[in-house]
Amino acid sequence: MPLPPLLLSLFPLFPTPPELLYKSTSTFSLLLSRACSSLSFLDPLHTFPSTHIHFAATSFYRMAVSGFEGFEKRLELHFSGNDPLGLRRLRCDALAQVLDAVQCTVVSAVGNRYFDAYILSESSLFVYPQKMVLKTCGTTQLLRSVPCLLRHTADLGLRLRACRFSRGSFIFPRAQPFPHTSFAEEALYLEERLPPSLCLRRACVLPSASSHSWHVYAAADDDEYVAAASPSTFTVEVCMTELDRSLARGFFRRKGDERSGDAAGADMTDLTGIGGISPRALLCGFAFDPCGYSMNGLDRDRYSTIHVTPEDGHSYASFECTGGGEVIEWARRAIGVFRPGEVSVSVCVAEGGDEKQVWSATSAALEPLGLSCRSQAAEGLPGAGIVTYQTFTARGK
Amino acid sequence: MGNLFSRTSNGLVITIHSKGKWNQHWQSHLASNKLMVIDFSSSTCGPCRFIEPEINAMAARYTEIEFVKIDVIELPVVAVMWDVQVVPTFVLVKSGKEVGRVVGADKKELEETIQQQQKQRH
Repeated sequence: MPLPPLLLSLFPLFPTPPELLYKSTSTFSLLLSRACSSLSFLDPLHTFPSTHIHFAATSFYRMAVSGFEGFEKRLELHFSGNDPLGLRRLRCDALAQVLDAVQCTVVSAVGNRYFDAYILSESSLFVYPQKMVLKTCGTTQLLRSVPCLLRHTADLGLRLRACRFSRGSFIFPRAQPFPHTSFAEEALYLEERLPPSLCLRRACVLPSASSHSWHVYAAADDDEYVAAASPSTFTVEVCMTELDRSLARGFFRRKGDERSGDAAGADMTDLTGIGGISPRALLCGFAFDPCGYSMNGLDRDRYSTIHVTPEDGHSYASFECTGGGEVIEWARRAIGVFRPGEVSVSVCVAEGGDEKQVWSATSAALEPLGLSCRSQAAEGLPGAGIVTYQTFTARGK
Repeated sequence: MGNLFSRTSNGLVITIHSKGKWNQHWQSHLASNKLMVIDFSSSTCGPCRFIEPEINAMAARYTEIEFVKIDVIELPVVAVMWDVQVVPTFVLVKSGKEVGRVVGADKKELEETIQQQQKQRH
């Protein structure tokens, strides 16, 4: 599908393009529109002209020394089929091929009655019978998993119903490979590879008061679908930077520590207080050498996951989990573990959600941690419900 | 099927399908001095399939160690007895006591734990 010439000429000017909104008919059409109308800024000192997004993104390209990119790319896929095991039937070689395309490997993995959880060399993979969540950081090419997955799931008789791709703003955007060189490239890559049956599609960039944004591309075959299929109501994604230095030190391996990644990881889980975030969950932590930490948590049919890049200068930690309203409390506890200077919280409300409730509950939870809400935004997305995006900074910074 | 109760491992992973057979095998283990690795797994679980070839290879390599597999859906009582919450979980036992445990399909971790146990014998 060729891009209209107007769109092509605009892309170099908009490193983070404004909202792309379209619905398919017999031919796809791509329209440019302004930033999300539901955006509101809470800090009265900031006033933003409508061209804010692209100019801020340009200024964010600083000539910094490149380090490990903590910010993840996340892909969530929903399938339907007749088999109760569904995606969990994917063979090892099929999964290996998918991960190969992304350029990451399995470090450790467990499963319970409801789902399988994999710790990867770069983040995590969760496989439910009808849902898959793949989250990878660094310079992995996450979207290259899509064509491979579509082939293997078709072999299993599974049909793709919905897809959601999301990410924050990279600390080192220039280090990213194709198709992650820009959100426009990512959206186009998905456009060209998702089956035409996913006819409801939307790409948008939720802005903030800083140069950071939340990028989401969502597609579904039916507006009513995912809300009904979703086992939990909320998915919360927390991104933290400028971690408290002394706390971040807890994620470095000690010199001469010969223990396995699992053993050292279990220690880190306890010593850093991560074990206390959701007490019912069974946690599998892994400590990387010389530093870094990943954890998957399993609590019945709900997953949680934490990934830490502790190096000073580009420290980063993420927390994600699914569940009911308690996810905001778990997020609060996770943020308490890292005491970051900056936080973003994105909540996906699958069914009948109200963004104002999410905004106020999240702000209220983070306020006692000394974090002030700087911006809040929300958008409705096909197959996903409502996605909110709020940014916070530590008071006194 | 003839090796279900034997004390010398033939290099294969023995799969236990019933509580009765497990009790018999446990008695046999108590009477021996061998290290036994109990592989708690499930046919529904991707990570279990992921590590299965490695377990088979280890069973062939470490012939002095007994490798036993229990499907937690087939024998949930045994899984609960050993406090198995996720699969795969590998429990190392010697003379009826747990001497090590590896939770998850981490090939490196399992091999290292087994080797550590072997060193302690000498």
